[in-house]
Amino acid sequence: MKKNMESIKLTNLEEDLKKNQIEIMLYPSKCDGCEGQEYKSCVKACETHMKEKYGKYSTARINIKSKGNKFFPILCHNCDEAPCVDACMPGARYRDIENGWTLTNYKKCVGCWMCVMVCPFGAIERIGEDHYASKCDGCIDENTPKCVEACKKGALKRIGIKNYAYERRLMVANKLYGPRLTINYDKYKK
Amino acid sequence: MKYVIIGNSYSGLSCADAIRRFDKTGEITIISDEPYKAYARPLISYYLEGKTTDETIWYKDDDYYEKNNYKTLLGKKVISVDTAGKKVVLDDNTSIEYDKLFIGPGGAPFVPPIEGFNPDSPMMGTFTKYDDAKKMERGAKLAKHKEAIVIGGGLIGLKASEGLRALDMHVTIAELLPRVLGLALDEISGNITAKKLNENGIDTATNDTVVKINIDEAGNPKSVIMKSGRELVADIVIVAIGVRPNVGFLEGSGITIDRGIIVDKTMMTNIKDVYAGGDAIVSYDILNKKPNIIAIVPLACEQGRVAGTNMAGIHREYYGGMGLNSVEIYGLPIVTIGLTNPNDPSQTVFIHQEGETIYRKLVYDGEVLVGAILLGDIAGSGILSAIIRQGVKCLKYKDEFLKGNIYSFVIDSEFEVYNINEGYAIRGDFEDLPQFSRSNWR
Repeated sequence: MKKNMESIKLTNLEEDLKKNQIEIMLYPSKCDGCEGQEYKSCVKACETHMKEKYGKYSTARINIKSKGNKFFPILCHNCDEAPCVDACMPGARYRDIENGWTLTNYKKCVGCWMCVMVCPFGAIERIGEDHYASKCDGCIDENTPKCVEACKKGALKRIGIKNYAYERRLMVANKLYGPRLTINYDKYKK
Repeated sequence: MKYVIIGNSYSGLSCADAIRRFDKTGEITIISDEPYKAYARPLISYYLEGKTTDETIWYKDDDYYEKNNYKTLLGKKVISVDTAGKKVVLDDNTSIEYDKLFIGPGGAPFVPPIEGFNPDSPMMGTFTKYDDAKKMERGAKLAKHKEAIVIGGGLIGLKASEGLRALDMHVTIAELLPRVLGLALDEISGNITAKKLNENGIDTATNDTVVKINIDEAGNPKSVIMKSGRELVADIVIVAIGVRPNVGFLEGSGITIDRGIIVDKTMMTNIKDVYAGGDAIVSYDILNKKPNIIAIVPLACEQGRVAGTNMAGIHREYYGGMGLNSVEIYGLPIVTIGLTNPNDPSQTVFIHQEGETIYRKLVYDGEVLVGAILLGDIAGSGILSAIIRQGVKCLKYKDEFLKGNIYSFVIDSEFEVYNINEGYAIRGDFEDLPQFSRSNWR
């Protein structure tokens, strides 16, 4: 199935990415929390990059939460009408119309934790004693988000919106119809 | 199309943005009685503490109004709305015609009759506006004994005391209820909060209030007489009992008002083409299942957006909101969501406490979570607020929640959580989901 998905490109990833419609897709079942390592690769990579980019506002924007042997990467979902933008009292969080990401002006952030309280994904956290709420900016000025680059397990993937929708449909179809779904992909090849 | 927006704050600007999203050419005029461009109103206490400054208190970017082509009438007070003639009358006797009107006047501070209270004194006042904060900043410099009294131990009162404390004043909060933040917190969390305040130089006089303010010849306060009979020295007196919808100017306009402005699901008032939103309206409370005034920032923005979308001609409904708030008091974060003090005996309460640093309280109605208090550790509070808003059955997670493992709910059933609201991205693979139904997938 996976091989077939790669061989037939219904959408153009390059074109998708040019429009800045980049999403980070999660494959939680592939995440193992970097077992046996001192640190989690994606968290470390994010921290390092954020330090370069934002200076003192350097906490990692991605977090791995676990329950038993299940791991789940928690990061911003970049909501269209984001509750964290609505709740932000100082107006530090805003939606950038040009690149479509929900960004933060850390100079304005005072640490009132309104966004922590409304984020339905728990993607914003109060870390330590710092008074700012850090949130993923999708590494919009980078080619590939640093967490995606760092993940060796394939639990994070960079993808454009069209490809994302396509992959998701395939997944749902797979889930609904299971292994009974067989498509003769050779038919579509030239 | 001529749009007029009364109120230059959260709901008004959110409404203007929503209109501009669908109507690029319509003329939008924003009226405010304050001379400033939009500022972060709840942050005026942070301004006294120096956490936000004259440069960072502004809610939007400097070029926000020009970029979006909004006309502004700042420092002009609306005295009446003529809904028959479709115009708004200003205090300089000019009037502005509208095709669609949005009313977002917010709340006005409520001042009960207290003997000796004189709002014109530089040492007395309320605490809801930028000017109030500036006044207190000046007042604190003039204070001889460095003593301040804050009447009201709600959110505004607490924030005002924190601000005054940062100006090196010794503050006493007079609160009629048995604890600070009495409506949101319960006894244990209220006591922890009060202790935190006391440690940092803010006294709390609960079950007590100010009955009289003794003033000197200049009209400035000297001392206050408490209900318990005590007399306290006071240089500054702030009344922070609460806010009421600022709807006085709508008298005679024909708009239905019952405590606040009554609106329908599209945020329209009983009069066509007149919409309202924010702290001044009565909206649907999804937890109490009745109309209620919920004066918080997230709801003001949502209501403004729904109203603006409808004003621009695109139908959209508002499904109601719930009360929730977040505050940090000297490094102690507190989040309260929904019903925190249940008086219905059928609702069950679960409590977890770790000394005076961490406290969690969950209120369940049957299997459904309806309220929560998180104190000290607020990680994942957004997940809880989403669960409460959705009315998800989650009684089996109560132990995990109490221990603070709120994320375990997401890990176990990410799919349900990810379906929270329209317009939210749903991501993740569904290979190992426990159940999957066609009905909840969009």
